[in-house]
Amino acid sequence: MTDVALDIQGCTVAYHDTPVLWDASLTVPRGTITGVLGPNGAGKTTLLKAVLGLVPVASGRIQVFGDTYAAQQDRVGYVPQRGSVDWDFPTNALDVVLMGLYGQLGWFRRPGAHENEQARQALRDVGMLDYTDRQISQLSGGQQQRVFLARALVQDADLYLMDEPLQGVDATTERTIMQLLHNLRDAGKAVVVVHHDLHTVADYFDRVLLLNKRAVASGPVASVFTDANVSATYGTEMRASTEAH
Amino acid sequence: MDLLYELVTDYTLRTVALGAALLGMVGGSLGSYAVLRGRSLIGDAVAHAALPGIAGAFLLTGSMNPLVLMLGAATTGLAAALLVETTAHTTRVPYDSALALMLSAFFGLGLVLMTYLQRHAGASQAGLDAFLFGQAAALVTRDVYVMAALGGIALVMMLLLWKELKLLSFNPDFGHSLGLPMQLLNGLLTTLIVVAIVIGLQTVGVVLMSAVLIAPTVAARQWTNRLGRMVALAAGIGAATGVAGAVVSASMRNLPTGPTIVLCMGAVVAMSMLLAPERGLLWRMGGPRTAAPSSSNSSFSTSSPADS
Repeated sequence: MTDVALDIQGCTVAYHDTPVLWDASLTVPRGTITGVLGPNGAGKTTLLKAVLGLVPVASGRIQVFGDTYAAQQDRVGYVPQRGSVDWDFPTNALDVVLMGLYGQLGWFRRPGAHENEQARQALRDVGMLDYTDRQISQLSGGQQQRVFLARALVQDADLYLMDEPLQGVDATTERTIMQLLHNLRDAGKAVVVVHHDLHTVADYFDRVLLLNKRAVASGPVASVFTDANVSATYGTEMRASTEAH
Repeated sequence: MDLLYELVTDYTLRTVALGAALLGMVGGSLGSYAVLRGRSLIGDAVAHAALPGIAGAFLLTGSMNPLVLMLGAATTGLAAALLVETTAHTTRVPYDSALALMLSAFFGLGLVLMTYLQRHAGASQAGLDAFLFGQAAALVTRDVYVMAALGGIALVMMLLLWKELKLLSFNPDFGHSLGLPMQLLNGLLTTLIVVAIVIGLQTVGVVLMSAVLIAPTVAARQWTNRLGRMVALAAGIGAATGVAGAVVSASMRNLPTGPTIVLCMGAVVAMSMLLAPERGLLWRMGGPRTAAPSSSNSSFSTSSPADS
Protein backbone atom coordinates (compact mmCIF):
# COMPACT_ATOMS: atom_id res chain seq x y z
CA MET A 1 0.00 0.00 0.00
CA THR A 2 1.49 3.28 -1.10
CA ASP A 3 1.43 6.50 0.86
CA VAL A 4 1.16 8.53 -2.31
CA ALA A 5 -2.43 9.21 -3.39
CA LEU A 6 -1.65 11.08 -6.58
CA ASP A 7 1.57 11.25 -8.55
CA ILE A 8 1.84 13.43 -11.65
CA GLN A 9 5.14 13.43 -13.53
CA GLY A 10 5.93 15.71 -16.50
CA CYS A 11 2.32 16.13 -17.60
CA THR A 12 1.76 18.15 -20.78
CA VAL A 13 -1.68 19.03 -22.19
CA ALA A 14 -2.34 20.99 -25.40
CA TYR A 15 -5.50 22.37 -27.02
CA HIS A 16 -5.09 22.75 -30.78
CA ASP A 17 -1.28 22.67 -30.54
CA THR A 18 -1.20 25.38 -27.85
CA PRO A 19 0.21 23.96 -24.62
CA VAL A 20 -2.00 24.85 -21.63
CA LEU A 21 -0.04 22.70 -19.21
CA TRP A 22 3.67 22.12 -19.69
CA ASP A 23 5.74 19.44 -17.99
CA ALA A 24 3.82 19.75 -14.70
CA SER A 25 4.58 17.47 -11.77
CA LEU A 26 2.84 17.03 -8.43
CA THR A 27 2.98 14.48 -5.64
CA VAL A 28 0.10 14.29 -3.17
CA PRO A 29 0.59 12.12 -0.05
CA ARG A 30 -2.35 10.63 1.82
CA GLY A 31 -3.69 12.61 4.75
CA THR A 32 -2.72 15.96 3.27
CA ILE A 33 -4.56 18.90 1.75
CA THR A 34 -2.90 20.56 -1.23
CA GLY A 35 -3.71 23.97 -2.70
CA VAL A 36 -3.22 24.52 -6.43
CA LEU A 37 -2.64 28.21 -7.15
CA GLY A 38 -1.79 30.26 -10.19
CA PRO A 39 -3.07 33.10 -12.37
CA ASN A 40 -6.03 32.74 -14.75
CA GLY A 41 -5.22 30.38 -17.59
CA ALA A 42 -2.42 28.75 -15.64
CA GLY A 43 -3.86 25.28 -16.29
CA LYS A 44 -5.26 24.58 -12.80
CA THR A 45 -8.58 23.16 -14.04
CA THR A 46 -6.78 21.40 -16.88
CA LEU A 47 -4.52 19.64 -14.37
CA LEU A 48 -7.53 18.18 -12.54
CA LYS A 49 -9.20 17.23 -15.82
CA ALA A 50 -5.99 15.53 -16.98
CA VAL A 51 -6.04 13.33 -13.87
CA LEU A 52 -9.70 12.46 -14.51
CA GLY A 53 -9.07 11.63 -18.17
CA LEU A 54 -11.34 14.47 -19.29
CA VAL A 55 -8.62 16.01 -21.47
CA PRO A 56 -6.03 14.03 -23.46
CA VAL A 57 -2.54 14.07 -21.98
CA ALA A 58 0.12 14.64 -24.65
CA SER A 59 2.96 13.32 -22.51
CA GLY A 60 3.79 12.49 -18.91
CA ARG A 61 2.59 9.94 -16.39
CA ILE A 62 -0.28 10.14 -13.92
CA GLN A 63 -0.68 7.56 -11.17
CA VAL A 64 -3.50 7.28 -8.64
CA PHE A 65 -2.64 5.16 -5.58
CA GLY A 66 0.27 3.70 -7.57
CA ASP A 67 -2.03 2.56 -10.35
CA THR A 68 -3.80 3.95 -13.42
CA TYR A 69 -6.72 6.31 -12.88
CA ALA A 70 -9.06 3.93 -14.70
CA ALA A 71 -8.27 1.16 -12.19
CA GLN A 72 -8.70 3.43 -9.15
CA GLN A 73 -11.63 5.51 -10.45
CA ASP A 74 -13.96 4.46 -7.63
CA ARG A 75 -11.60 6.01 -5.06
CA VAL A 76 -11.54 9.47 -6.68
CA GLY A 77 -14.16 12.12 -5.92
CA TYR A 78 -14.58 15.19 -8.09
CA VAL A 79 -16.08 18.61 -7.36
CA PRO A 80 -16.29 20.52 -10.65
CA GLN A 81 -16.43 24.30 -10.88
CA ARG A 82 -19.84 25.58 -9.86
CA GLY A 83 -20.12 27.57 -13.08
CA SER A 84 -19.66 24.47 -15.23
CA VAL A 85 -23.31 23.39 -14.96
CA ASP A 86 -26.70 24.99 -15.65
CA TRP A 87 -28.24 25.59 -12.22
CA ASP A 88 -31.62 26.13 -13.85
CA PHE A 89 -31.74 22.38 -14.54
CA PRO A 90 -35.08 21.01 -13.29
CA THR A 91 -33.95 19.18 -10.17
CA ASN A 92 -33.53 19.64 -6.40
CA ALA A 93 -30.62 19.51 -3.96
CA LEU A 94 -31.22 15.91 -2.83
CA ASP A 95 -31.32 14.71 -6.43
CA VAL A 96 -27.97 16.34 -7.23
CA VAL A 97 -26.36 14.70 -4.19
CA LEU A 98 -27.80 11.33 -5.23
CA MET A 99 -25.88 11.64 -8.50
CA GLY A 100 -22.73 10.92 -6.49
CA LEU A 101 -24.07 7.37 -6.02
CA TYR A 102 -24.95 6.67 -9.68
CA GLY A 103 -21.61 4.95 -10.28
CA GLN A 104 -22.05 2.55 -7.35
CA LEU A 105 -25.69 1.88 -8.23
CA GLY A 106 -24.85 0.44 -11.64
CA TRP A 107 -26.96 0.37 -14.78
CA PHE A 108 -30.76 0.62 -14.69
CA ARG A 109 -31.01 0.70 -10.87
CA ARG A 110 -32.63 3.78 -9.40
CA PRO A 111 -31.71 5.23 -6.00
CA GLY A 112 -33.90 3.86 -3.18
CA ALA A 113 -34.45 4.51 0.53
CA HIS A 114 -30.90 3.52 1.46
CA GLU A 115 -29.36 5.92 -1.07
CA ASN A 116 -31.77 8.68 -0.01
CA GLU A 117 -30.59 8.31 3.58
CA GLN A 118 -26.93 8.50 2.51
CA ALA A 119 -27.63 11.66 0.52
CA ARG A 120 -29.53 13.24 3.43
CA GLN A 121 -26.63 12.45 5.75
CA ALA A 122 -24.21 14.19 3.35
CA LEU A 123 -26.52 17.22 3.18
CA ARG A 124 -26.61 17.23 7.00
CA ASP A 125 -22.78 17.16 7.05
CA VAL A 126 -22.60 20.30 4.92
CA GLY A 127 -25.40 22.02 6.87
CA MET A 128 -27.91 21.85 4.03
CA LEU A 129 -30.52 19.44 5.40
CA ASP A 130 -33.15 22.20 5.40
CA TYR A 131 -32.75 22.63 1.65
CA THR A 132 -33.22 18.99 0.59
CA ASP A 133 -36.23 19.64 -1.64
CA ARG A 134 -35.18 23.08 -2.83
CA GLN A 135 -34.95 23.65 -6.59
CA ILE A 136 -31.24 24.20 -7.23
CA SER A 137 -31.64 27.55 -8.99
CA GLN A 138 -33.15 28.89 -5.76
CA LEU A 139 -29.97 28.18 -3.79
CA SER A 140 -27.32 30.83 -3.24
CA GLY A 141 -23.84 30.36 -4.70
CA GLY A 142 -22.49 29.11 -1.38
CA GLN A 143 -25.38 26.67 -0.98
CA GLN A 144 -24.85 25.34 -4.51
CA GLN A 145 -21.19 24.86 -3.66
CA ARG A 146 -22.13 22.87 -0.55
CA VAL A 147 -24.51 20.68 -2.57
CA PHE A 148 -21.62 19.82 -4.91
CA LEU A 149 -19.49 19.06 -1.87
CA ALA A 150 -22.19 16.79 -0.43
CA ARG A 151 -22.35 14.97 -3.77
CA ALA A 152 -18.61 14.27 -3.49
CA LEU A 153 -18.95 13.19 0.17
CA VAL A 154 -21.47 10.43 -0.62
CA GLN A 155 -18.89 8.94 -2.99
CA ASP A 156 -16.74 8.24 0.10
CA ALA A 157 -13.58 8.58 -2.00
CA ASP A 158 -9.95 8.47 -0.83
CA LEU A 159 -8.70 11.20 -3.16
CA TYR A 160 -10.74 14.36 -3.73
CA LEU A 161 -10.13 16.76 -6.61
CA MET A 162 -11.96 20.06 -6.09
CA ASP A 163 -12.11 22.91 -8.58
CA GLU A 164 -12.55 26.24 -6.74
CA PRO A 165 -14.93 24.96 -4.02
CA LEU A 166 -14.69 28.35 -2.27
CA GLN A 167 -15.52 30.44 -5.33
CA GLY A 168 -18.41 32.83 -4.67
CA VAL A 169 -19.08 31.74 -1.08
CA ASP A 170 -19.44 33.99 1.96
CA ALA A 171 -17.05 33.95 4.94
CA THR A 172 -19.23 31.67 7.09
CA THR A 173 -19.63 29.11 4.33
CA GLU A 174 -15.91 29.27 3.62
CA ARG A 175 -15.16 28.33 7.24
CA THR A 176 -17.70 25.48 7.12
CA ILE A 177 -16.25 24.08 3.91
CA MET A 178 -12.63 24.32 5.09
CA GLN A 179 -13.54 22.56 8.35
CA LEU A 180 -15.05 19.73 6.27
CA LEU A 181 -11.98 19.49 4.05
CA HIS A 182 -9.70 19.40 7.08
CA ASN A 183 -11.85 16.62 8.55
CA LEU A 184 -11.36 14.65 5.33
CA ARG A 185 -7.61 15.14 5.57
CA ASP A 186 -7.60 14.07 9.22
CA ALA A 187 -9.46 10.93 8.19
CA GLY A 188 -6.46 10.04 6.01
CA LYS A 189 -7.86 11.16 2.68
CA ALA A 190 -5.94 13.25 0.17
CA VAL A 191 -7.54 16.52 -0.91
CA VAL A 192 -6.45 18.67 -3.86
CA VAL A 193 -8.09 22.10 -4.05
CA VAL A 194 -7.83 24.65 -6.84
CA HIS A 195 -7.73 27.96 -4.95
CA HIS A 196 -7.32 31.63 -5.82
CA ASP A 197 -6.76 33.50 -2.55
CA LEU A 198 -3.06 33.84 -1.68
CA HIS A 199 -3.82 35.25 1.79
CA THR A 200 -5.39 32.06 3.10
CA VAL A 201 -2.88 29.53 1.73
CA ALA A 202 -0.88 29.17 4.93
CA ASP A 203 -4.05 28.67 7.04
CA TYR A 204 -5.80 26.25 4.72
CA PHE A 205 -3.20 23.98 3.16
CA ASP A 206 -0.38 21.64 4.13
CA ARG A 207 1.13 21.64 0.69
CA VAL A 208 0.93 23.89 -2.32
CA LEU A 209 1.47 23.71 -6.08
CA LEU A 210 2.27 27.03 -7.74
CA LEU A 211 1.30 26.69 -11.36
CA ASN A 212 1.68 28.87 -14.42
CA LYS A 213 1.50 26.42 -17.31
CA ARG A 214 4.66 24.95 -15.72
CA ALA A 215 4.90 23.87 -12.10
CA VAL A 216 6.86 26.76 -10.64
CA ALA A 217 7.18 25.06 -7.26
CA SER A 218 5.46 22.38 -5.23
CA GLY A 219 5.87 20.96 -1.73
CA PRO A 220 5.10 21.86 1.90
CA VAL A 221 3.69 25.38 2.30
CA ALA A 222 6.44 26.38 4.77
CA SER A 223 9.28 25.76 2.34
CA VAL A 224 7.64 26.42 -1.05
CA PHE A 225 5.21 29.29 -0.50
CA THR A 226 7.83 32.05 -0.63
CA ASP A 227 7.78 35.56 -2.08
CA ALA A 228 10.23 34.53 -4.77
CA ASN A 229 8.12 31.56 -5.91
CA VAL A 230 4.87 33.53 -5.81
CA SER A 231 6.44 36.34 -7.86
CA ALA A 232 7.73 33.82 -10.36
CA THR A 233 4.20 32.41 -10.65
CA TYR A 234 2.13 35.58 -10.85
CA GLY A 235 4.63 38.24 -11.97
CA THR A 236 6.35 40.81 -9.80
CA GLU A 237 3.37 42.38 -8.01
CA MET A 238 2.23 39.50 -5.82
CA ARG A 239 3.88 38.44 -2.58
CA ALA A 240 3.19 35.48 -0.34
CA SER A 241 3.60 37.53 2.82
CA THR A 242 0.91 40.07 1.95
CA GLU A 243 -1.28 39.04 4.85
CA ALA A 244 -4.68 40.63 4.94
CA HIS A 245 -5.64 40.79 8.57
CA MET B 1 -69.39 16.70 -30.88
CA ASP B 2 -69.38 15.85 -34.58
CA LEU B 3 -65.61 16.09 -34.51
CA LEU B 4 -65.33 13.76 -31.54
CA TYR B 5 -67.63 11.32 -33.30
CA GLU B 6 -65.52 11.53 -36.43
CA LEU B 7 -62.34 11.08 -34.41
CA VAL B 8 -63.61 7.63 -33.48
CA THR B 9 -65.30 6.63 -36.70
CA ASP B 10 -63.48 8.39 -39.54
CA TYR B 11 -60.54 6.24 -40.65
CA THR B 12 -58.36 9.06 -41.99
CA LEU B 13 -58.88 11.40 -39.05
CA ARG B 14 -58.37 8.61 -36.53
CA THR B 15 -55.15 7.49 -38.19
CA VAL B 16 -53.81 11.01 -38.49
CA ALA B 17 -54.72 11.87 -34.88
CA LEU B 18 -53.08 8.68 -33.58
CA GLY B 19 -49.93 9.36 -35.60
CA ALA B 20 -49.81 12.98 -34.45
CA ALA B 21 -50.29 11.94 -30.81
CA LEU B 22 -47.44 9.44 -31.10
CA LEU B 23 -44.99 11.84 -32.71
CA GLY B 24 -45.89 14.56 -30.21
CA MET B 25 -45.43 12.22 -27.25
CA VAL B 26 -42.08 10.80 -28.38
CA GLY B 27 -40.81 14.15 -29.65
CA GLY B 28 -41.83 15.95 -26.46
CA SER B 29 -40.15 13.38 -24.19
CA LEU B 30 -36.82 13.09 -25.99
CA GLY B 31 -36.78 16.74 -27.01
CA SER B 32 -36.55 17.53 -23.29
CA TYR B 33 -32.98 16.27 -23.21
CA ALA B 34 -31.97 18.20 -26.35
CA VAL B 35 -33.36 21.42 -24.89
CA LEU B 36 -31.88 20.89 -21.40
CA ARG B 37 -28.45 20.30 -22.91
CA GLY B 38 -28.70 23.58 -24.83
CA ARG B 39 -28.81 21.69 -28.11
CA SER B 40 -32.32 22.47 -29.27
CA LEU B 41 -31.26 22.93 -32.87
CA ILE B 42 -29.70 19.49 -33.29
CA GLY B 43 -33.24 18.35 -34.13
CA ASP B 44 -33.38 20.89 -36.93
CA ALA B 45 -30.11 19.63 -38.41
CA VAL B 46 -31.14 15.98 -38.12
CA ALA B 47 -34.57 16.61 -39.66
CA HIS B 48 -33.19 18.52 -42.64
CA ALA B 49 -30.40 15.96 -43.05
CA ALA B 50 -33.00 13.20 -43.23
CA LEU B 51 -34.17 14.38 -46.66
CA PRO B 52 -31.24 12.97 -48.70
CA GLY B 53 -31.67 9.72 -46.74
CA ILE B 54 -35.33 9.43 -47.73
CA ALA B 55 -34.58 10.23 -51.38
CA GLY B 56 -31.56 7.93 -51.39
CA ALA B 57 -33.51 5.03 -49.87
CA PHE B 58 -36.21 5.40 -52.54
CA LEU B 59 -33.58 5.70 -55.28
CA LEU B 60 -31.85 2.51 -54.17
CA THR B 61 -34.90 0.36 -53.43
CA GLY B 62 -37.79 1.94 -55.33
CA SER B 63 -39.86 1.16 -52.23
CA MET B 64 -42.26 3.46 -50.36
CA ASN B 65 -42.32 1.17 -47.33
CA PRO B 66 -42.21 3.46 -44.27
CA LEU B 67 -39.53 1.35 -42.58
CA VAL B 68 -37.23 1.62 -45.61
CA LEU B 69 -37.68 5.39 -45.86
CA MET B 70 -37.25 5.86 -42.10
CA LEU B 71 -34.06 3.80 -42.17
CA GLY B 72 -32.72 6.06 -44.93
CA ALA B 73 -33.76 9.16 -42.99
CA ALA B 74 -32.16 7.87 -39.79
CA THR B 75 -28.90 7.03 -41.57
CA THR B 76 -28.23 10.49 -42.98
CA GLY B 77 -29.77 12.21 -39.94
CA LEU B 78 -27.43 10.37 -37.60
CA ALA B 79 -24.48 10.95 -39.92
CA ALA B 80 -25.16 14.69 -39.83
CA ALA B 81 -25.45 14.70 -36.03
CA LEU B 82 -22.15 12.83 -35.66
CA LEU B 83 -20.45 15.16 -38.15
CA VAL B 84 -21.65 18.19 -36.18
CA GLU B 85 -20.24 16.74 -32.93
CA THR B 86 -16.95 15.65 -34.52
CA THR B 87 -16.42 18.95 -36.32
CA ALA B 88 -17.12 20.99 -33.19
CA HIS B 89 -14.92 18.69 -31.10
CA THR B 90 -11.85 18.31 -33.30
CA THR B 91 -11.64 21.58 -35.25
CA ARG B 92 -11.85 25.23 -34.32
CA VAL B 93 -15.25 25.56 -36.03
CA PRO B 94 -17.79 26.48 -33.30
CA TYR B 95 -20.75 24.18 -32.57
CA ASP B 96 -23.44 26.45 -34.05
CA SER B 97 -21.45 27.00 -37.26
CA ALA B 98 -20.86 23.26 -37.65
CA LEU B 99 -24.58 22.72 -37.14
CA ALA B 100 -25.62 25.30 -39.73
CA LEU B 101 -23.05 23.92 -42.15
CA MET B 102 -24.24 20.31 -41.93
CA LEU B 103 -27.91 21.32 -42.00
CA SER B 104 -27.58 23.23 -45.26
CA ALA B 105 -25.15 20.80 -46.88
CA PHE B 106 -27.33 17.74 -46.22
CA PHE B 107 -30.56 19.61 -47.04
CA GLY B 108 -29.01 20.84 -50.29
CA LEU B 109 -28.08 17.29 -51.23
CA GLY B 110 -31.62 16.24 -50.37
CA LEU B 111 -33.14 18.87 -52.66
CA VAL B 112 -30.81 17.83 -55.50
CA LEU B 113 -31.81 14.18 -55.11
CA MET B 114 -35.53 15.07 -54.91
CA THR B 115 -35.30 17.13 -58.09
CA TYR B 116 -33.51 14.29 -59.86
CA LEU B 117 -36.13 11.80 -58.67
CA GLN B 118 -39.01 14.00 -59.79
CA ARG B 119 -37.57 14.21 -63.31
CA HIS B 120 -36.63 10.57 -63.66
CA ALA B 121 -38.45 8.27 -61.30
CA GLY B 122 -41.81 9.89 -60.66
CA ALA B 123 -41.20 10.71 -57.03
CA SER B 124 -44.09 13.15 -57.01
CA GLN B 125 -46.50 10.33 -57.74
CA ALA B 126 -44.78 8.29 -55.08
CA GLY B 127 -45.41 11.15 -52.63
CA LEU B 128 -41.82 11.77 -51.62
CA ASP B 129 -42.22 15.55 -51.84
CA ALA B 130 -44.68 15.27 -48.94
CA PHE B 131 -41.70 14.85 -46.63
CA LEU B 132 -40.76 18.48 -47.16
CA PHE B 133 -43.77 19.98 -45.37
CA GLY B 134 -45.46 16.78 -44.26
CA GLN B 135 -48.66 15.23 -45.50
CA ALA B 136 -50.53 13.74 -42.62
CA ALA B 137 -53.55 12.75 -44.71
CA ALA B 138 -51.37 10.17 -46.46
CA LEU B 139 -50.79 8.27 -43.19
CA VAL B 140 -52.09 4.70 -43.20
CA THR B 141 -52.44 2.18 -40.39
CA ARG B 142 -49.13 0.55 -41.29
CA ASP B 143 -47.34 3.89 -40.79
CA VAL B 144 -48.88 4.31 -37.34
CA TYR B 145 -47.80 0.79 -36.32
CA VAL B 146 -44.23 1.54 -37.35
CA MET B 147 -44.31 4.87 -35.49
CA ALA B 148 -45.67 3.18 -32.36
CA ALA B 149 -43.08 0.40 -32.44
CA LEU B 150 -40.04 2.63 -33.00
CA GLY B 151 -41.27 5.37 -30.66
CA GLY B 152 -42.09 2.79 -28.00
CA ILE B 153 -38.59 1.33 -28.15
CA ALA B 154 -37.07 4.83 -27.87
CA LEU B 155 -39.23 5.67 -24.83
CA VAL B 156 -38.41 2.39 -23.07
CA MET B 157 -34.69 3.01 -23.61
CA MET B 158 -35.13 6.51 -22.19
CA LEU B 159 -36.84 5.17 -19.06
CA LEU B 160 -34.25 2.40 -18.55
CA LEU B 161 -31.37 4.89 -18.78
CA TRP B 162 -33.18 7.59 -16.81
CA LYS B 163 -30.49 8.45 -14.27
CA GLU B 164 -27.63 8.12 -16.76
CA LEU B 165 -29.32 10.47 -19.24
CA LYS B 166 -30.10 12.91 -16.43
CA LEU B 167 -26.44 13.01 -15.47
CA LEU B 168 -25.42 13.38 -19.13
CA SER B 169 -27.70 16.39 -19.41
CA PHE B 170 -26.76 18.04 -16.11
CA ASN B 171 -23.05 17.35 -15.60
CA PRO B 172 -21.33 15.03 -18.13
CA ASP B 173 -17.83 15.62 -16.69
CA PHE B 174 -18.97 14.39 -13.29
CA GLY B 175 -20.60 11.37 -14.93
CA HIS B 176 -17.31 10.58 -16.59
CA SER B 177 -15.53 10.82 -13.23
CA LEU B 178 -17.94 8.16 -11.89
CA GLY B 179 -16.81 5.82 -14.66
CA LEU B 180 -19.97 6.06 -16.74
CA PRO B 181 -19.33 5.95 -20.53
CA MET B 182 -20.62 9.43 -21.30
CA GLN B 183 -19.51 9.36 -24.96
CA LEU B 184 -21.52 6.19 -25.52
CA LEU B 185 -24.54 7.64 -23.70
CA ASN B 186 -24.26 10.79 -25.79
CA GLY B 187 -24.30 8.71 -28.97
CA LEU B 188 -27.25 6.72 -27.68
CA LEU B 189 -29.25 9.83 -26.74
CA THR B 190 -28.56 11.29 -30.18
CA THR B 191 -29.81 8.05 -31.75
CA LEU B 192 -33.00 8.18 -29.67
CA ILE B 193 -33.57 11.79 -30.74
CA VAL B 194 -33.02 10.74 -34.37
CA VAL B 195 -35.71 8.07 -33.91
CA ALA B 196 -38.10 10.66 -32.46
CA ILE B 197 -37.50 12.83 -35.52
CA VAL B 198 -37.78 10.24 -38.30
CA ILE B 199 -41.12 8.90 -37.05
CA GLY B 200 -42.59 12.40 -37.35
CA LEU B 201 -41.23 13.42 -40.75
CA GLN B 202 -44.09 12.07 -42.86
CA THR B 203 -46.63 14.00 -40.80
CA VAL B 204 -44.86 17.26 -39.99
CA GLY B 205 -42.12 17.40 -42.63
CA VAL B 206 -38.41 18.09 -42.33
CA VAL B 207 -38.75 21.87 -42.20
CA LEU B 208 -40.97 22.10 -39.10
CA MET B 209 -40.00 18.92 -37.26
CA SER B 210 -37.62 20.57 -34.78
CA ALA B 211 -40.58 22.47 -33.27
CA VAL B 212 -42.04 19.13 -32.11
CA LEU B 213 -38.90 18.51 -30.05
CA ILE B 214 -38.55 22.01 -28.65
CA ALA B 215 -42.04 23.47 -28.11
CA PRO B 216 -43.60 20.87 -25.73
CA THR B 217 -40.43 20.95 -23.58
CA VAL B 218 -40.28 24.73 -23.34
CA ALA B 219 -43.97 24.79 -22.39
CA ALA B 220 -43.58 21.99 -19.82
CA ARG B 221 -40.51 23.56 -18.21
CA GLN B 222 -42.58 26.60 -17.23
CA TRP B 223 -44.87 24.51 -15.01
CA THR B 224 -42.49 22.28 -13.06
CA ASN B 225 -39.02 22.12 -11.51
CA ARG B 226 -38.67 18.35 -11.60
CA LEU B 227 -37.22 16.47 -14.57
CA GLY B 228 -39.63 13.54 -14.33
CA ARG B 229 -42.73 15.72 -14.26
CA MET B 230 -41.29 17.89 -17.02
CA VAL B 231 -40.70 14.97 -19.41
CA ALA B 232 -44.15 13.52 -18.63
CA LEU B 233 -45.78 16.91 -19.14
CA ALA B 234 -43.89 17.50 -22.40
CA ALA B 235 -45.06 14.09 -23.62
CA GLY B 236 -48.64 14.97 -22.68
CA ILE B 237 -48.50 18.41 -24.30
CA GLY B 238 -46.94 16.88 -27.43
CA ALA B 239 -49.66 14.24 -27.69
CA ALA B 240 -52.53 16.64 -26.93
CA THR B 241 -51.39 19.32 -29.36
CA GLY B 242 -50.79 16.62 -31.97
CA VAL B 243 -54.39 15.47 -31.71
CA ALA B 244 -55.64 19.07 -31.52
CA GLY B 245 -53.73 20.00 -34.66
CA ALA B 246 -55.09 16.97 -36.51
CA VAL B 247 -58.67 17.74 -35.48
CA VAL B 248 -58.47 21.47 -36.27
CA SER B 249 -56.95 20.88 -39.69
CA ALA B 250 -59.62 18.29 -40.47
CA SER B 251 -62.42 20.65 -39.49
CA MET B 252 -61.40 23.35 -41.97
CA ARG B 253 -60.69 23.10 -45.65
CA ASN B 254 -57.13 23.52 -46.89
CA LEU B 255 -55.52 23.63 -43.48
CA PRO B 256 -52.29 21.56 -43.57
CA THR B 257 -51.93 19.19 -40.60
CA GLY B 258 -48.22 19.49 -39.82
CA PRO B 259 -48.09 23.30 -39.63
CA THR B 260 -51.37 23.30 -37.68
CA ILE B 261 -49.88 20.95 -35.08
CA VAL B 262 -46.84 23.23 -34.78
CA LEU B 263 -49.12 26.26 -34.38
CA CYS B 264 -51.06 24.51 -31.60
CA MET B 265 -47.77 23.77 -29.84
CA GLY B 266 -46.75 27.40 -30.25
CA ALA B 267 -50.02 28.51 -28.64
CA VAL B 268 -49.40 26.27 -25.61
CA VAL B 269 -45.85 27.64 -25.29
CA ALA B 270 -47.12 31.23 -25.37
CA MET B 271 -49.81 30.45 -22.81
CA SER B 272 -47.33 28.70 -20.51
CA MET B 273 -44.78 31.48 -20.67
CA LEU B 274 -47.50 33.95 -19.83
CA LEU B 275 -49.46 32.12 -17.14
CA ALA B 276 -47.20 29.60 -15.40
CA PRO B 277 -46.63 30.22 -11.69
CA GLU B 278 -43.14 31.51 -10.76
CA ARG B 279 -41.76 31.49 -14.29
CA GLY B 280 -44.70 33.05 -16.14
CA LEU B 281 -44.55 36.65 -17.29
CA LEU B 282 -47.74 37.63 -15.44
CA TRP B 283 -46.53 36.02 -12.21
CA ARG B 284 -43.22 37.83 -12.33
CA MET B 285 -44.92 41.15 -13.02
CA GLY B 286 -47.37 40.55 -10.20
CA GLY B 287 -46.04 42.83 -7.49
CA PRO B 288 -43.42 42.76 -4.71
CA ARG B 289 -44.70 39.58 -3.07
CA THR B 290 -43.23 37.57 -5.95
CA ALA B 291 -39.86 39.28 -5.91
CA ALA B 292 -38.27 36.18 -4.42
CA PRO B 293 -34.60 35.46 -5.14
CA SER B 294 -35.65 32.77 -7.57
CA SER B 295 -37.72 35.01 -9.80
CA SER B 296 -34.68 36.22 -11.72
CA ASN B 297 -34.04 32.77 -13.11
CA SER B 298 -36.11 32.74 -16.25
CA SER B 299 -36.41 30.05 -18.90
CA PHE B 300 -33.17 28.25 -19.75
CA SER B 301 -30.56 30.78 -18.79
CA THR B 302 -27.35 29.61 -17.17
CA SER B 303 -27.65 32.28 -14.56
CA SER B 304 -26.77 31.43 -11.02
CA PRO B 305 -27.76 33.70 -8.20
CA ALA B 306 -24.96 35.44 -6.36
CA ASP B 307 -24.30 34.46 -2.82
CA SER B 308 -26.39 36.50 -0.46
